[in-house]
Amino acid sequence: MTADLHTLTGAYALDALSPEEAREFARHLTECDVCTHEVAELRETAARLALAVAEVPPAALRARVMAAIPEVRQLPPPGRVADVVPLRGRAWRQRLPYLALAACLVGAAVAGGVAVNAEHDVDRQRTQAEQQASDLASLMAAPDAAYHTTAVHGGGNATVVSSVSQARTAFVYRDLPKLAGSHVYELWYSRKGSMVPAGLVDSGRPSGTAVLAGAASGADGVGLTVEPHGGSKQPTTSPLMLVSIAG
Amino acid sequence: MRAAAREEQPGAPRPGALETLLDRVSRGDRDAFESVYTAVAGSVLGLVRRVLRDPAQSEEVTQEVLIEVWRSAARFDPGQGSAMAWIMMLAHRRAVDRVRSAQASADREHKAAVRDHSPAFDEVSEQVERRLEREQVRRCLGQLTELQRESVTLAYYRGFTYRETADLLGAALGTVKTRLRDGLIRLRDCLGVSV
Repeated sequence: MTADLHTLTGAYALDALSPEEAREFARHLTECDVCTHEVAELRETAARLALAVAEVPPAALRARVMAAIPEVRQLPPPGRVADVVPLRGRAWRQRLPYLALAACLVGAAVAGGVAVNAEHDVDRQRTQAEQQASDLASLMAAPDAAYHTTAVHGGGNATVVSSVSQARTAFVYRDLPKLAGSHVYELWYSRKGSMVPAGLVDSGRPSGTAVLAGAASGADGVGLTVEPHGGSKQPTTSPLMLVSIAG
Repeated sequence: MRAAAREEQPGAPRPGALETLLDRVSRGDRDAFESVYTAVAGSVLGLVRRVLRDPAQSEEVTQEVLIEVWRSAARFDPGQGSAMAWIMMLAHRRAVDRVRSAQASADREHKAAVRDHSPAFDEVSEQVERRLEREQVRRCLGQLTELQRESVTLAYYRGFTYRETADLLGAALGTVKTRLRDGLIRLRDCLGVSV
């Protein structure tokens, strides 16, 4: 490795070389482990610059991308046998039936409504909304944020974003059907099979985001049920969705 | 260490981590892809728009990048770095390719002033304002020398080659090359980045 070539790691990581120079440097990388490692680190650094300028994509973009991908043929892995499915991924999927069963059993128990003072509620909700926006921003920025997208039984879909370091979880929902009467969507943390209330989903909008109430520590899953007005202390219906968030 | 990502080890990524999601995407899992979309679309769009300026072109390129992620997920190698870094590399390259074609460059300057958003924001990503990330990056950029900072931001956020960057800054080619490297290294250390 010549000193001169090595100084190109920065320009290469930022795509700031001419095509000829980039090709030459890429050849050099195949025989320079030090440079390869440095380029990887500098690319990682550049990605942080990208995260810092994140914008809000228009809703239509998601729809266009999701509509396009079924038509796009995927590339095979580059000349090697495909990696084995991670065992951990399999393990958490297998736990889901157990979670579902637990939620149904608990559901038979209590159907307690919570009395609320409507006026007080409005103020509280506004404060909560502001708090949520800032909670969500730090959650999404966490390096260990994990994303699970799933269909919601009955319509719509959802992404559960969880982070161990932040001890928080967000529920990002799309196209949830409007519920009959005064019923509400309620969120739950699952801890070793018992369901802990984690807040109600704003019923006014089919799509949005909710940060789950309460601490996520020890929780192994997130569930969603339909409950009577005001929510319940334990689920009274079978879950429309259960997502494992176990690390 | 990312190289061990696919092995059954205590350090293996969690099932919903981007690296694991990409692995599922490479096997055609559309739910996993939608999770990836939620995680990265805002950053891809933000980066592409920094480089291209024109909102319509930026959306078009963002769409291409996300479809490219779907198409080539199997080519992601966790031994080479994080999934986020890989996706942002795809995004930056594609934006830079676009801007360096003569036609696009002309458009870019003309349309630079047009920066209005389309009104229908994606509810999902509305909150994905990475405030903490923003503050940390701003603080770390502030620790660079002026020449380091200008070199890095012109190259990355505007998509200029180091020759163009040197022209713009009136600096020697060798100096800009070096500033790009030592500026990024200082940023790396300030942000605590490791591979």
